[in-house]
Amino acid sequence: MSKVEASQYGDRKVYSVGSFNRGVAEWLQRLPTVWVEGEVTELRRNPRWQSVFFTLKDPTDGACLGVTMARGRFDGLRVDLADGERVHVFGRPELFEARGDFRMRALSIERFGLGDHLAALERLKKKLGAEGVFDRSRALPRFPRRIGIVTGNDAAAKQDILSTITARFPAARIVVAETYVQGPFAATAMIEALRGIAAAPEVDVIVLSRGGGSFEDLLPFSDERLLRAIAACSVPVVSAVGHEQDTPLCDLAADARASTPTAAARLVVPDATELLEQLARSRAGLGRGARTLVDRRRERLTHAHERLRRAPALAVERKRARLDQAAGRLRALSPRATLERGYAIVRAQEEIVRSADAVSTGEQIVVEVADGRFGARVE
Amino acid sequence: MSAEPTFEEAQRELEQIVERLERGEAELDEAVQLWERGEELYKLCAGKLDAAQGKIEELARRVESARP
Repeated sequence: MSKVEASQYGDRKVYSVGSFNRGVAEWLQRLPTVWVEGEVTELRRNPRWQSVFFTLKDPTDGACLGVTMARGRFDGLRVDLADGERVHVFGRPELFEARGDFRMRALSIERFGLGDHLAALERLKKKLGAEGVFDRSRALPRFPRRIGIVTGNDAAAKQDILSTITARFPAARIVVAETYVQGPFAATAMIEALRGIAAAPEVDVIVLSRGGGSFEDLLPFSDERLLRAIAACSVPVVSAVGHEQDTPLCDLAADARASTPTAAARLVVPDATELLEQLARSRAGLGRGARTLVDRRRERLTHAHERLRRAPALAVERKRARLDQAAGRLRALSPRATLERGYAIVRAQEEIVRSADAVSTGEQIVVEVADGRFGARVE
Repeated sequence: MSAEPTFEEAQRELEQIVERLERGEAELDEAVQLWERGEELYKLCAGKLDAAQGKIEELARRVESARP
């Protein structure tokens, strides 16, 4: 290795490009070996090349790092890496002197294991939870004008949700956005589909749907970028991903979660048959209510009428009773009853005689008894 | 003569007449007049009820025949 030497121009010290690169390269070699996490992209392996090349990409912000690894070492690892796969790379920074390219020289590569994924998901869940990304639960519309469905082109899953929605509510209008739901491009593709369908006219609710799959298959549904896109979506989102036991983080970011496509259909459209039955019941109740009202009025009217019919006779009877009573009392007060017991009324010159001194001998008087009167003379 | 009373107005007047007659407050001549007025009100109410019921039954028949 040639030395790092500078030429002197007066009081200025100047390096050649080679010297400069060599100097930086030597300095970089003193840095320690570290583990770096990222997604493998642009993997290039050629049997005639000494090294294998790929780019390690940060899935959250897209930062890139070139990586080289000796081909023999790479092949010895027997990791069948594919683009988009998440890995941990052990290595040190390095400068390719001829081109001044900064990169990482890999000594080992480990595929991101299940435990790593779980730990990463747990961290992401905590972080987004603290940020409030999972706090959304907007009410779903009862009668959506149009329903957006973001789904894979897997015929079974798509058909399942479409037929369930149509069976429940035949008038439903559906817009489908087919997208990758698996693999390295799934998250960005789904975000694009989600945004596109949310911007479509009259779409009031979106179902994010995917059939069952392995843990790795469902990983894109826990992608941080997708979760943020769901939380920021302008219309409510229903997550219908995987099976009952799967818990992708999109379930938390969405406004509602459904364990099956059928359950998702139940959430986004009402059951038309049930609605019609309810309506029929209401209509029957309407007729019943009107009849009951008339019946009650008629009952009250009939009752009043019966009382009215009886009232005049009652009034006359009462008046007659009062009259009879008065007549009785009148009769009781008349002197006739006294005369019938043998008393007599004596009158002289039309005046009732109440004293013996009121008459004189020989005077003409009239005597009234019960059944008539006769004349007499005082002696 | 004022406009024809509503069912409720007629019903209320009828019931007031019945109460007056039952209490025996009215003069005899007046009682006869009240009774006549009561009968008149009853006919009016019954007519209105018959009309309402007729309409309800007709609607019900129409709804029934329109059922798919």
